[in-house]
Amino acid sequence: MYRYLSFIAPLLTFLVLLIFWEFLVNYNKVPLYILPAPSDIFLSLIVNYKDLFSSAFITLRITLFAFSIASSLAILLAILFSQSRLIELSLYPIAVIFQVTPVVAIAPLILIWVGFDNAEYAILILATIVAFFPVLANTNLGIKSVNENLHELFSLYGAGRYQRLVKLQIPFALPFILTGMKTSIGLSLIGTVVAEFVAGSGTSTGLAWRIIEAGNRLDIAKLFAALILLVILGIFLFLLISYIEKIVLKRWHDSSNI
Amino acid sequence: MLTFKDIVKSYEEDVLGPISIDIKNKSFVSIIGPSGSGKSTFLRLASGLIKQSSGLIGYNDNLKPKMGFVFQDSNLLPWRTVLDNVLLPLELTKEDKSKSIEKSLKWISRVGLGGKEDSFPNELSGGQKMRVSIARAMVQEGSLLLLDEPFSALDEVTRRRLEDDLLEIWKTNNITILFVTHSVTQAVYLSERVLVMSSGPGVIIEDLLINKKIDVGFEGTHEFLSQVKHLTDILRNEGI
Repeated sequence: MYRYLSFIAPLLTFLVLLIFWEFLVNYNKVPLYILPAPSDIFLSLIVNYKDLFSSAFITLRITLFAFSIASSLAILLAILFSQSRLIELSLYPIAVIFQVTPVVAIAPLILIWVGFDNAEYAILILATIVAFFPVLANTNLGIKSVNENLHELFSLYGAGRYQRLVKLQIPFALPFILTGMKTSIGLSLIGTVVAEFVAGSGTSTGLAWRIIEAGNRLDIAKLFAALILLVILGIFLFLLISYIEKIVLKRWHDSSNI
Repeated sequence: MLTFKDIVKSYEEDVLGPISIDIKNKSFVSIIGPSGSGKSTFLRLASGLIKQSSGLIGYNDNLKPKMGFVFQDSNLLPWRTVLDNVLLPLELTKEDKSKSIEKSLKWISRVGLGGKEDSFPNELSGGQKMRVSIARAMVQEGSLLLLDEPFSALDEVTRRRLEDDLLEIWKTNNITILFVTHSVTQAVYLSERVLVMSSGPGVIIEDLLINKKIDVGFEGTHEFLSQVKHLTDILRNEGI
């Protein structure tokens, strides 16, 4: 019963809010350039579907690419950290510096270095930087969280570094890595959108560019339509990683039953 | 024979010793004592997981034997099935795969978990997990089995069943068992010999050979009760 309710309750709430929104806008005759009604937004989505969906595809492509690069690099670096304390001490602070520096602040630099003709690469780099840290921090934490008794068990049987890494540390860290990835996928999308904003109009045709374009033309319905696509994209990406988590952890980890 | 000669273990301060003791082959020795007396340190020294600060530890023919270790928590790898958990020691020591599987299946069956080979640890009860842990410790068929309070988290019925199974494994496999426990009755019931350790730094304050004339029904005998009382009195005098 609660399982269905957890799906139906938010859906009904959302529908009620939409009806209320539609009613308020029509009743108060709010101009379209201030706040369009949900029906106007839906209409705009249909009329502009070609532009919007091709832009959504570009944003999705960069997001997934950035996420893949960030995750791979972060996992490799965390593994490297687990093998050498010196490397960890040397590189972790640099990773933290990248994490705490606002992406907007370094975006112009990256754009200049990569070149405005290659704005898509600049966006990719910026989104990768934003998505990198959660996977690094979580993988690092996971590898370090291995129970001391399990380490002792491996020592008892004379396990080498490689055996310990492959048969103990990485599998143990898997739930942590996937948690990091769930945060990271959302940040990849945010990073992509922010970088697209900074790259400005004319250099990229992702969803952020459509939002800027619609804003400049006071086409607020189209702006909302692009925004809705972004939200759908974010939810889709989160569910995708959650699904992968469920498949990977399937029977052995309690989190896969949540 | 496992020999401890003037063994001391210190970290920032002494935690154990000096201890000198011989453990005969194929014997079942329990170690009891208060928390912090160094019982677990004793086992870890015997296994070679930690090094003594001073003194000598000797094994038969100066060769460290194959050994199994059962921890207080079953310490199974949750991402591995029962079979894969039991296989682990053989995998790590790179033994032949088909023989390893055969041995693992034999031990899974031996501990009464036949049919559970493909289950994951989170699908097992506490007692079943501990059985897997014992199978994993025995699968190398080494000559020394070390157990660090393995049954302390189990309910009474499961604990009793596992105690009897452990006794059976000891009797049929010609192994030496070092068993750390908090329970005096468990130590007297299971062992041939009980070592009592003092509060830290732990030294052996009593080395009692258990007088066990009968196996079945031993717990109801006068010998059993008097030896339990004797050890309890020693621990009480230690302020426990």
